[in-house]
Amino acid sequence: MNGVVGKMFGWFNNRLPVANTFERHLSKHPVPSKVNFWYLFGALAAVVLIIQIISGIWLIMPYSNTEEQAFSSIEYIMRDVDYGWVIRYIHTTGASMFFAVVYLHMFRGLLYGSYQKPKELVWVFGCAIYLAMMAEGFLGYVLPYGQMSYWGAQVIISLFGAIPYIGESLEIWVRGDYYISGITVSRFFALHVVALPLVLIALVFLHLIALHEVGAGNPEGVDIEKYLDEDGVPLDSVPFFPYKVLNALVGIGVFMTVFAIIMFFFPEGGGYFIEMANFEEANPLVTPEHIAPVWYYSPYYAMLRAVPDKLGGLIIMGSAVAILFVVPWLDNSKAASIRYKGVYSKVALALFGISFLTLGYLGTVGVTEVRKTMSIICTFIYFAFFILMPIYTKFEKTKKVPERL
Amino acid sequence: MTTKQKVIKINKSVKFLLLFTLLFGINNLLSAEGGPCKDYGDCDKFKYSLNDMESLQSGASTFLNYCYGCHSLQYSRWGRIAKDLQIPEDIFFENLVFDKSIKAGDLMTGAMPKDESAQWFGVAPPDLTLVSRVRGDDWLYSYLRTYYEDSSKQYGVNNLVYPGTAMPNVLAALQGNQKLICKNIPIIAKNGGEKRDSEGNALTKEKCGFLQVEEGTGSLNKEDFDKVIYDLTNFLVYVGEPSKASRERIGWYVIFYFLIFTALSALLYREYHKDYH
Repeated sequence: MNGVVGKMFGWFNNRLPVANTFERHLSKHPVPSKVNFWYLFGALAAVVLIIQIISGIWLIMPYSNTEEQAFSSIEYIMRDVDYGWVIRYIHTTGASMFFAVVYLHMFRGLLYGSYQKPKELVWVFGCAIYLAMMAEGFLGYVLPYGQMSYWGAQVIISLFGAIPYIGESLEIWVRGDYYISGITVSRFFALHVVALPLVLIALVFLHLIALHEVGAGNPEGVDIEKYLDEDGVPLDSVPFFPYKVLNALVGIGVFMTVFAIIMFFFPEGGGYFIEMANFEEANPLVTPEHIAPVWYYSPYYAMLRAVPDKLGGLIIMGSAVAILFVVPWLDNSKAASIRYKGVYSKVALALFGISFLTLGYLGTVGVTEVRKTMSIICTFIYFAFFILMPIYTKFEKTKKVPERL
Repeated sequence: MTTKQKVIKINKSVKFLLLFTLLFGINNLLSAEGGPCKDYGDCDKFKYSLNDMESLQSGASTFLNYCYGCHSLQYSRWGRIAKDLQIPEDIFFENLVFDKSIKAGDLMTGAMPKDESAQWFGVAPPDLTLVSRVRGDDWLYSYLRTYYEDSSKQYGVNNLVYPGTAMPNVLAALQGNQKLICKNIPIIAKNGGEKRDSEGNALTKEKCGFLQVEEGTGSLNKEDFDKVIYDLTNFLVYVGEPSKASRERIGWYVIFYFLIFTALSALLYREYHKDYH
């Protein structure tokens, strides 16, 4: 590089590791040459995060975080702000799509053992991102201050009250009031737009740095670091830039098409992305007929309702998320990928998937006796998948993992 | 594709199908709730047509003449409706806005004081800006057409879709007096045909709960009245989301853009892919 541009670049590069970083994390970062579509969801999650941050910033401008105006400011955005509806639907669709891709991304992890040594920390940071996302989503859901915002928040915050001794004070401390009010809305606003996004970005950074340190996995569970060329680059790898970026670009194109279809033609997602009751302003005097969380929390909500005792339900719900963090230490299998694991693992993962989806469904509908029994069975399977993992992965017969991709 | 790969492929789709059937089965097993239209059974289907200006204008006119006396559209502005419904502002203000102090930018906050109306009706008539989004189009279209005479109620009417509704049947003058009647209907045999006795006469049983308008009591016939309600519902769907029509129009362009984007990146990817395969 010569001329003015080259000189300027040199000036910066001597003071900031521009070229170095580009090479280390992009143009010379080796990634497995053979992966499948399951490996796209991480990139898609990053895309949605950016979409959420940008649309979020634009939503903050006209939104009003007071009890009197929260709901009407959303309608103001939908009606009076030029293309306000585009920004808002991007954000509401983005929230659901964020969870959709993250659930698929996490399932990929379970499918191909993306948490196994040395990727434990990548997985743990990922779980922390998921936890932060759940909090972020919940806080954001309260902001439009519709009926479901109010009563959903009422149900979730009252869970804190189930904690012995400190519960009641904790509940008031979280709400900032004796019931959900404008004070709750304005503090949730602060947490939603400043605190948790910072946490999320920091965690995503750590997730990526840890990933780049240990290298990305592949559907075969092959360790590509075993066979290197004379420069120390894995033989079964390609540079991230441009190869994987282009690969991701195709995925992003497909994803954005789906995103646009939902956003422009089904923004309420049949009442699952924006619940119908949330088009009614919060009313502390009228309880909605049927309180249901948005779809991405519904599996946990089903678990909560499966347990008759409030504290018990809270513990089950908390454990359901907490147990994800220790998965790297539960799997004793020699094979990482489901392709080479034994039949126990396959059956266990299938049952787990089915029970999680069933719980998701059960969490969105009203309770009957049959549904309650099913919730209990599915909760049981959910936990059995993790708790029995050390046993079934140890005693099953695995196939031999190939040497090369 | 080798035979083995084919087998695996089939296996996968079979698994997927099984899973799908299972979930669908569970869904059927579990869904035993009553529909949103209560005593009416399934709601009548409503398909909005937000580009039909005539329908929207007629709906707006019905709303402002019959509903706006009690119900506000507090998030909507007068001028926006005139503009979106392509009604020239002078005609709009002259014929549809009854309070002459109102300006185009004003919100449609209603004509009736909320606390007094609560005393009159037991509950303040709700704001209807978002009613189509809270209740759904089908519900609204069914609700407005299923009033029937019921002398046990305060206003002498009740509603199949919303039993015990606090709203009187404001449109009765158009619709006429609707009553619940009983009818003899054919008994359907297990094979799907009508049951007949030994002489070949159709067997019937009495079933109640059918709506029938007393002939000559309303100024419109059923078809015309249904059209009035269609237009009114259509207008409320519009008011619920004034940008809905442009949303669905712009959507096609955005989808088209992303399809081109996907196609181009796929071609580029294929070109680069050759480097390592």
